[in-house]
Amino acid sequence: MKLLTKTSRYYLISSVVIFIISGLIVNHLLHHIFYRQIDETLNEEKLLVEETINFSDSIPDFSPVFGHMIEVTILNNPHKKNEIIHDTVMYDSRTGSFISYRHLSIENTSVKNQGYIINIYKPLPESESLIAEILIAILVVFVSLVLVFGLVNYFIARRVWIPFYRILRNLSEYNILREMPLKPIRSDIHEFMLLNQALQDMSNKIRQDYLNLKEFNENAAHELQTPLAVIKSKMDLLIQDESLTPWQLNLISSVYEATAKMSRLNQGLLLISKIGNNQFANVEEIDLIQLINKTLDTFREMIEYHNIRVTRQFDPPVMLRLNRALAEILITNLISNSIKHNVGSGWIELFANKEMLRISNSGHSLTINPDNLFERFRKSGSTNSDSVGLGLSIVKKITDLYHFRIEYLYDRESHTIQVYFN
Amino acid sequence: MKILLIEDEKELAGSIIAYVQKENYICEAVMTYEDAKEKINLYQYDCIVVDITLPDGSGLEVIRELKKNKSDTGIIIISAKNSLEDKLTGLDIGADDYLTKPFHLSELNARIKSIIRRRNFSGASEISFNEIRVLPDQQEVFVNDTTVILTKKEFELLIYFLSNKERVLTKESIAEHLWGDEMDLADSFDFIYTHIKNLRKKITEAGGKDYIQTVYGMGYKFTVS
Repeated sequence: MKLLTKTSRYYLISSVVIFIISGLIVNHLLHHIFYRQIDETLNEEKLLVEETINFSDSIPDFSPVFGHMIEVTILNNPHKKNEIIHDTVMYDSRTGSFISYRHLSIENTSVKNQGYIINIYKPLPESESLIAEILIAILVVFVSLVLVFGLVNYFIARRVWIPFYRILRNLSEYNILREMPLKPIRSDIHEFMLLNQALQDMSNKIRQDYLNLKEFNENAAHELQTPLAVIKSKMDLLIQDESLTPWQLNLISSVYEATAKMSRLNQGLLLISKIGNNQFANVEEIDLIQLINKTLDTFREMIEYHNIRVTRQFDPPVMLRLNRALAEILITNLISNSIKHNVGSGWIELFANKEMLRISNSGHSLTINPDNLFERFRKSGSTNSDSVGLGLSIVKKITDLYHFRIEYLYDRESHTIQVYFN
Repeated sequence: MKILLIEDEKELAGSIIAYVQKENYICEAVMTYEDAKEKINLYQYDCIVVDITLPDGSGLEVIRELKKNKSDTGIIIISAKNSLEDKLTGLDIGADDYLTKPFHLSELNARIKSIIRRRNFSGASEISFNEIRVLPDQQEVFVNDTTVILTKKEFELLIYFLSNKERVLTKESIAEHLWGDEMDLADSFDFIYTHIKNLRKKITEAGGKDYIQTVYGMGYKFTVS
């Protein structure tokens, strides 16, 4: 949920709650005020009636005026003084409906020891409608205030958070692989400037570390090449010695194989660093189908040897702007991978068009998590322990460089790698 | 045959000299750009093997100097950089070949021979050994004057053996020679064995001798005796 939606929602919910509670309170207060008013009127009238009775010593006739009535009934056996005031409902024959009244009833004795009851009724509907009108007026004002404040709040919040959204956008656009540092923002809000500064410092530090690491990787791999070249050349000389015993040859053979593996590994790592350091900047138009056919031709004898059936389905032309060396490495690695992990008398299927390249092959089921397939040094343990496990991570590095999307699919014993060109 | 090696890594230079001297080549070695310049201005070489990164200059400058003198010396660049730019520049200014360190001495040896062959016979070169005759440019092989049909890889393999007679060729170096070093084809050794078996069979069936010996655990050797 968006920040603004969230605050607006909270604002609305709390407004509704305040609205209901304050409505109830106002309603209650108004009722209280009106009842006090009515009760006072009733009491005044009662006093007036009592004065009249005491003064005239008889029961005058009180005809109903404007629907409010005074009734005086003479009692023969008066009780002691008793006064109540309450709400009541009576049937009005003129309108044919029930009307609520405030009713004051008092039993008293007159001077002449004659008892009487005074009943005074005052109709409530007038007051009720007045209360309702007042309530509505108050609520209309309240609701408009809430709405106006809500809108004002919304626009203020939207304005205030602009720098924040700018920071977010810059962060999501930030790519450590690009030369650009994190774009700074300008704001007069202290907290956002602090956030901006903290992110700037952090990204600069990360970038610096990343560059150092990259440089270190390449230098390390590069510096290893010379001693490796020396070892390899000395080994090449050593194995020419005819006086070596089988036991010595065996030892040398193991050293030789390990050196060869180290050399391949180092070359792979160097290649990955170089791709990362953008040392393959030259691009040219590459005919992918031609390249695939050429590569298949290189592997032809190996494919025949393993009795692998190759089917190709191409939708020419497939022209891509790539670095030639990287394009060759990409295709070579994908094809050699599909041969290497194939089964005897298996198959390879190649498909290419403008949008994508797909290479599928038969093979044993995967022993590693497919999500880790493109990571370095991930290799299926069952086959080729001699493989250095960099082939697919080199492929990934190349596809990343050109913003191609690569995915791996597998269905028990068929493995598919798909590369989408954008 | 005279070869000049320009390489600042002493140990590597020593290995290269030791290896190619067995071919009865005269091999001189220098370690700096200045020395190299002096040598090429004084003497004539059949082939120059030059490292790009020298302590006092670039190997590419040595090549430019050679070409300025209108020399037709064969040139092989050896470099630890494996940079495409260097390779393209090198080949552009007149180098014949480019080899990335670390390499197999047998590979360098084969390439030196190939360059010398091309230079000396200008296209009409052939490699003869006893009853075997190979025409590299026509991709033809004769054993006792009968044509032997070889696959492309078998053909390359035979030339590789003939360039490194009496040398142990490891499985790794053969695999790299046939498929390049960018490939991680660890399981290709069985396949190499099959290739060698086929090559042997084709040569012996045509009446040739079986020169290819298996060196236990290491690889193969083309023996003369």
